[in-house]
Amino acid sequence: MTSLILALMSALVGVLLIVLIPGENKKLRNSIVFLSVLLALVFSWRTGLLVFAGKSIGLKVELGRFVWSLRPDPLGVVFGLIASTLWLFTGVYSFGYMDNKEKQGSYYVFFLLALCVTLGVAFAGNLVTLYLFYEFLSFATYPLVIHERSPEAMKSGKKYILYSLSGAGLLLVAIVLTHHLAGNLAFGAGPILEGLSGPGLNWLLLLFALGFGVKAAVMPLHHWLPSAMVAPTPVSALLHAVAVVYSGAYGIVRVVYSVFGRELAGELVFSKIFLYVIVFTILAGIIVAIRQDHLKRRLAYQTISHLSYILLGAFTLTPWGLAGAVFHMISYSTLKITLFFCAGIISELTGKSSISKMKGIGRGLPGTMVLFATGTLGMIGILPLNTFWGKYYLMKGSVAGGMWPLALVLIISGILNGVCFIPFIIKAFSGEKNQPAGKTGKRGYREYALFIPPLVLTIAAISMGLLPGMVWPAVQAVVDWFF
Amino acid sequence: MWPLTGPFVPGFFIDSLNLIFIIMAALLWFAVSLYSYRYMKVEGRSRGFNIASLLTLVAVMGVFLARNLLTMLLFFELMTISSYFWVIHRRDKEAIRAGYFYLFFSIIGGLFLVLGIVFMGAATDVLPAIGSGAVTPLNARAFNWSMVFFLIGFGIKAGMVPLHLWLPHAHSAAPAPASGLLSGLLIKVGAYGLIRLGEFAGWGMGAGVNLKFLGVILLITGILSMLLGVVAALLQSDAKRLLAYHSVSQMGYIILGLGISLYLGAEGVLGLLGAIYHVLNHALFKAALFLGVGIIYVYRKETDLYKLGGLWRQYPVTAILMFFAVLGITGAPGLNGYASKTLLHHAVSFLSDKGGLWAVWLEWLFSLVGVGTTASFSKLYYLMFLAKPAEEDGIERLVNKKFVTERKLSGMQAAMVLLVISMVLLGLFPQFFLYKMAVPAAETLGLSAETALAGFSFWTFSDLAGIFITLALGVLVCFAGLKSGAFHWQPPQWLTLEGLGNLAFGELSLFWGEALEFYHFACRGIADTGKNLAGSLVRALRRFEEPGSLTAGKSTFTGISADLFLVFMVLAILLILFTLTRPELLDLSILANLSGN
Repeated sequence: MTSLILALMSALVGVLLIVLIPGENKKLRNSIVFLSVLLALVFSWRTGLLVFAGKSIGLKVELGRFVWSLRPDPLGVVFGLIASTLWLFTGVYSFGYMDNKEKQGSYYVFFLLALCVTLGVAFAGNLVTLYLFYEFLSFATYPLVIHERSPEAMKSGKKYILYSLSGAGLLLVAIVLTHHLAGNLAFGAGPILEGLSGPGLNWLLLLFALGFGVKAAVMPLHHWLPSAMVAPTPVSALLHAVAVVYSGAYGIVRVVYSVFGRELAGELVFSKIFLYVIVFTILAGIIVAIRQDHLKRRLAYQTISHLSYILLGAFTLTPWGLAGAVFHMISYSTLKITLFFCAGIISELTGKSSISKMKGIGRGLPGTMVLFATGTLGMIGILPLNTFWGKYYLMKGSVAGGMWPLALVLIISGILNGVCFIPFIIKAFSGEKNQPAGKTGKRGYREYALFIPPLVLTIAAISMGLLPGMVWPAVQAVVDWFF
Repeated sequence: MWPLTGPFVPGFFIDSLNLIFIIMAALLWFAVSLYSYRYMKVEGRSRGFNIASLLTLVAVMGVFLARNLLTMLLFFELMTISSYFWVIHRRDKEAIRAGYFYLFFSIIGGLFLVLGIVFMGAATDVLPAIGSGAVTPLNARAFNWSMVFFLIGFGIKAGMVPLHLWLPHAHSAAPAPASGLLSGLLIKVGAYGLIRLGEFAGWGMGAGVNLKFLGVILLITGILSMLLGVVAALLQSDAKRLLAYHSVSQMGYIILGLGISLYLGAEGVLGLLGAIYHVLNHALFKAALFLGVGIIYVYRKETDLYKLGGLWRQYPVTAILMFFAVLGITGAPGLNGYASKTLLHHAVSFLSDKGGLWAVWLEWLFSLVGVGTTASFSKLYYLMFLAKPAEEDGIERLVNKKFVTERKLSGMQAAMVLLVISMVLLGLFPQFFLYKMAVPAAETLGLSAETALAGFSFWTFSDLAGIFITLALGVLVCFAGLKSGAFHWQPPQWLTLEGLGNLAFGELSLFWGEALEFYHFACRGIADTGKNLAGSLVRALRRFEEPGSLTAGKSTFTGISADLFLVFMVLAILLILFTLTRPELLDLSILANLSGN
């Protein structure tokens, strides 16, 4: 229990220290950020290992009728560990990326705050706590989106906050209705709505799906994500490829398995209709991505497509499908963040952000482009990369659930992912050499801080692909928890 | 601690079948490495080539030795990526284009294998290990589909006809040693997969699942590959493209043999034996042919047949070695091609004895392809070594005076000698390979060869006469074709598969453009409507904020907007109506309770 509190608190302490220590001391601040993220990582791993070992840990504060509770279960722990692990990598990357930027103080304050809130979402023990952290995540990340304060950034920020808040509003209605129907909101061994049935629950599922679907960027609700790409690259990488969007996907998985339960969800018509929406998002997202010229926007649309993989796994309602969803959640995050890091390196060192101007860039930045190519192979789902396993189990789950066309959809999406990025990579390695602007190839602190996180993550992805047993127990624990 | 391998346990094994494949791979790789040292000096970038080559060797060995399907898939994907660097070795426009073809077809093939594995997992409880014999599926439909997906996945690699489009591009764009390995070995990975697929299916009759349709598919695609490959090869003017199309055609022989085995089951074992034998033979002579053309390329910087000619005077050693290779592929007795083609021919005759009229046609087509093969290789050899040079000043044009004659022999010729010696040995003693290696392989795959091979001999009069007639006809066709200029015929676009693909793609992109335009139009429409709506809402809201005066009859309420008043009125009426329809809402006893407490 102490480690649970400390995991959330260490980031908050970091925030306080940065705010309270006067003066602009970059080294001190960076060390505070690094240490507090590291502590959060260590304590969330301790929590995670305890939960995987079968211990029940939790924290419950009752304020009148309102119960504020943290009670991690395997699914939440998986999300929390993904977030805190990747936060460390993004922190190191930010030291390089933000080195010559303005307003670093406010950047790091909200960066740490977002970690605390994300861990809160992951470890929440009932729907109200989940809702509060989920809502607060929008506020904590809004300053990061508008970090550059340009008119475009302000506009995107407005879009982001409007989408998030309207989603959260629907969520609140859904939670009130759930409480009305079931009388409690705590995530326990069984689903909250156990024993209930009736067509009216379809509407409840719709409300939940819309509420969390905004952050999971399900297709008609996705518009905020590509425009939020005006944020600094570490923010796009961490929040808009992993943490924020995962909180939406995590919420939907949570709703399906903890609120409705798989029997009830299987009966509802809307869960079948929602599968069509998911399939549409998977295919349309990647097709739209092919037509984007701005590299980060292209990656954003690819994110939209891949987030729906997770939802697809959840809605197959089979153990294999859930295993695929969890595995994809773990593996996809490592590679997508790598792709964004690479895009950030390219735009930082050469000043180019649109694909049509990136011919020959791989000859100036060979290491970065090799990492990018590896990430792309992962997005297609080629074996030595860990994303293969996520996709494999998703396909297994769809076939086992009698929905074999979904397996074909995943294959087609894999091919489209190839169409989306392979020509770009090949063009990057051919043609004239595109030297980083104003650089003489000398590598300093900044270049290492930029390059090492994606390198380590790629190596981790490959070893996870060759030895899927590294994460398999976590996946197994989640599946055992719900089945 | 948990075991780190999790659900993925890599495993390897060896049996009589993959023994043949790995010996073949080792032999061929050795010959090519002997060759490539000298060759890559001319081509350049030898470091990259060597890295790709060694990685591909690892991958190919991994695929052949894999114990389970996932291990096989791992090495299959590695092979795709490492051999891609062979295809784009020259980095020119043509190579990059061929690379796109190669990469996308291979990736799609790999994804189909994944699909096959997934369906196999749905059909059986545990994924079957490779080499464990026929599978007894719990779900026959899923099993059949998994077989089809495997067929597509391996078929792409093997260059099976509708899926062969990448092959001619990739094999002719790569440098010669890489082409030799691509044609000699990498497409055999597809053949190996198809053989294992036959094993899973129990040769069409295992486990009570009717898989005869697989045999029919393989028969049809096999004969189509043979025909299409040979016709396309006849029309090529570039030596490497001619050889690449012949890879399609010769893979057709292998696929046909497997198809006969799958169709007839245990009776069709001759087809399987022929296919296994032909795998090895094709590897040897196709590699030798590519290496020979590569030697000429090193000397003359040219692979266009119509610009070469009369080279036997200058390069006699290469000419003699190439002659053996050509005899091998045309199936002349005494060389290895004869042995496997005879086996396959026997299998086809057996099928036509058993089957109906269509099988007789199959036999005719089989002989026709033999004639076509002879014709195209007579053309290759004649134009390259015997005919008068097309340009008299060809020698002055040369890049390097050193290469005017074959003064110094190198590893290149040594590699060819190695291959030709193995070919001659296999051709003179065909029984050795058949009984010592192919028959045990067939037995481990679950087929007994005893009855089929009873009284079988390679050297019967009818077989020999048949092959000589084929050779003679082939030379005649070649002569006629060269005289009449029929080899320069360009088929119209709609007749070739690639042209059809181009046309379809053109139409598709046109349609895509239209669809996109419609989409943009619709989007703009929706956005406009939305903007108009929002605009009027904003205007209405503004009016709320600017208080005017409401005049009703004679009395005037100052400071109350008329709109606001209307809205409130409507809301009030709605509320009253709603309450009236729900009488229970008017029951206020709950309040009485509250006050009581």
